Amino acid sequence: MHRSIRRTPRVLAAALGLVLVGVTLTSCSAGDAPETVRFHLSKPEAIPYFRALISEYNAGQDDVEVILDSSSNLQAGFLRGNPPDLGLLNYNMEMARFMERGALSDLSDMPEADRVLPEVQQLVEQYATYPGRTSVLPYSVMAASVIYNQEIFEQQGLDVPQTYDELIAVCDRLTAAGITPFYGTFKDPWTVAQGWFDYTVGGEIDVAAFYEQMNELGTEVGPDSPVSFQKTLAEPVDRMKVLIDNYANADAASKGYGDGNLAFAKGEAAMYLQGPWALGEIAKTSPDLKLGTFPLPMTDDPEDLEVRVNIDLAAWIPEASKHQEAAREFLSFLFQQDVMDAYNAAQLGYGTTTDAAPVTDPRIIGMSEYYAAADFYQGASKAIPQTIPVDNYLQGLALGSGVESTLKTLDADWARLAFRR
Amino acid sequence: MSIQPTLIAEGIEATSRREAGISSRPPARSRRSGGNRPGWSTTIVLLLCAITVVVPLYVTVSMAFKTQAQAVDGNAFSLPAPFSVEGFVTAWNLTNFPAAFTVSVLITAGTVIGTVVLGAFASYAISRNWDRKLFRYSFYYLLAAMFIPFPVVALPQIQLTGLLGLDNPVGVTFLHIMFQLSFSILLFTAFLRSIPNELEESARLDGASTWQTFWQLIFPLLAPMSATVGIFAFLASWNDFMMPSLITSNAALQTLPVVQSIFQTQFSNNYNVSFASYLMAMAPAIIAYLFTQRWVMEGVTQGAVKG
Repeated sequence: MHRSIRRTPRVLAAALGLVLVGVTLTSCSAGDAPETVRFHLSKPEAIPYFRALISEYNAGQDDVEVILDSSSNLQAGFLRGNPPDLGLLNYNMEMARFMERGALSDLSDMPEADRVLPEVQQLVEQYATYPGRTSVLPYSVMAASVIYNQEIFEQQGLDVPQTYDELIAVCDRLTAAGITPFYGTFKDPWTVAQGWFDYTVGGEIDVAAFYEQMNELGTEVGPDSPVSFQKTLAEPVDRMKVLIDNYANADAASKGYGDGNLAFAKGEAAMYLQGPWALGEIAKTSPDLKLGTFPLPMTDDPEDLEVRVNIDLAAWIPEASKHQEAAREFLSFLFQQDVMDAYNAAQLGYGTTTDAAPVTDPRIIGMSEYYAAADFYQGASKAIPQTIPVDNYLQGLALGSGVESTLKTLDADWARLAFRR
Repeated sequence: MSIQPTLIAEGIEATSRREAGISSRPPARSRRSGGNRPGWSTTIVLLLCAITVVVPLYVTVSMAFKTQAQAVDGNAFSLPAPFSVEGFVTAWNLTNFPAAFTVSVLITAGTVIGTVVLGAFASYAISRNWDRKLFRYSFYYLLAAMFIPFPVVALPQIQLTGLLGLDNPVGVTFLHIMFQLSFSILLFTAFLRSIPNELEESARLDGASTWQTFWQLIFPLLAPMSATVGIFAFLASWNDFMMPSLITSNAALQTLPVVQSIFQTQFSNNYNVSFASYLMAMAPAIIAYLFTQRWVMEGVTQGAVKG
């Protein structure tokens, strides 16, 4: 017994040595022969599809080996100076920060850049630009609007509403028939921002123009400025309150996103303010449920109808990458039309290029005329920097806080943040 | 960033398990010495404590064997019907489980061994040279590190490890050891004070050098405390998410908690896949704890009685 204890330290030390050597060797061994391209993709649903593409690409030639990276931390990579060689991920304000500071290389000379629809490319520029560069190429767009249960609409003899008054009439008839018009999931703050706030605001005002002015005003934003949250957004947010207070399920405060998908799949409400990502979740429970989508009408003019979009995947190549040429070649491979079309069809996305195949899925086809006509906006809640807890403010609204005071707080936060920058 | 809650929950679970274990022993012992009274109140309290551990564990296990449709039906407590291993298969493939598992094991083993050996070294030197200022202050210096959480120094650490070529599991192991060291030294030093100096003097009379005294006399005596330190280091290293996610640059050398983060997104709930994956990741920690808990408790109670 004693002898064995005496021996353990040496065994332990030897083991430690082995571990360290072993780890060092494994970290060194990856690198030599073919040029490696680290491809960052963090959308879990898309991993199997892109994994198959990567093995096809790697098998097709010997010069470049593409490695899928779905877990490394982007901020740390850029800070360290070794970001992934090619990124394909959600494009939002956080990502725009990298572009704004010139960390992403110029892709405007690639033929793929000319194929991207100009109105979609413009979505990228709404968050940030870098002079003289096209650093980000949109790959797939998610269009979101009201998801509705077509069976319930048919049973009640309802048509898709085109104006705000028609919407209220539809809601009243549903309520009279004992059906909950909207299913709310206010336990998850982002669902209030993504659906209720973005759809009502985007349906009524020009989101991009509003934030352009807000950014110009900066510290000037307040009760007396030409535009402000408390002035410009008062009406749509009031209407959002009306819908929430009168036409959402009574227990919405205690329901989360997962509960909402389940309840909607079971036909517990007629309409659901979510994006296409929820359709896959709903299909887990009710694969055959007949669903459709329509833009939330917020005005009296059907011409004003617009859908909310976000850039689901966008490609970029960092300046700091040492394999930019190889990364560009793989990017061209990914941007082949059939590769893009297959992705969009599987993930219920909309194509971003001039030659993209039209959408065929019945669940999202209701938005295609608006997408084709570029009648779309990016979510109003997404243009607010994450430093301002807008999702939580909006959740507060849904749970009973006052519209005016909440919007005033938003204005004050906006001005303070502008002052700090 | 959305990953934190589960990790915290895991941490809490681990802590509560530890606490339940630690606090449960002494009353059990005193009751045995005092006769065979059943002690219902204690039993009920312990039962409630046990439920807080068993219920989540039951949900984890049953969820892991459900199909995707059943996993989202809102009944967390139902038994899997039909019984399915699709979650395990998906999790295994999506995370490249064997590779991530190996990296996790290597980092954890390196951390445990490094923490125990270095902690014991430092504590021995400090406790035997307590009269000298340098050692006393170095003790305070090392303890001060307990008040520096990793997120505060994350950015400089990322740059530093990048410059030194340590943006890989080796760097993570070093940092884990460093961050674990102060707490371990606190434990070891307290324990070492309870070991009488006479023991060492007798070894020296027999001609043992300091090195020999340490390895042949002190380190074996430290065994219970080493087990405690080792288990703390094991849990901290095995469960850590933030450090490997920020420090390791090569995604192929990422640890389990980090590769598992892809199951948790805002937009989709893959409960069966994620729970299957967590179960596979939890298994080593639970097994290690089952086999070593005797030493944890001994270590803690010994330290408590003598120190």
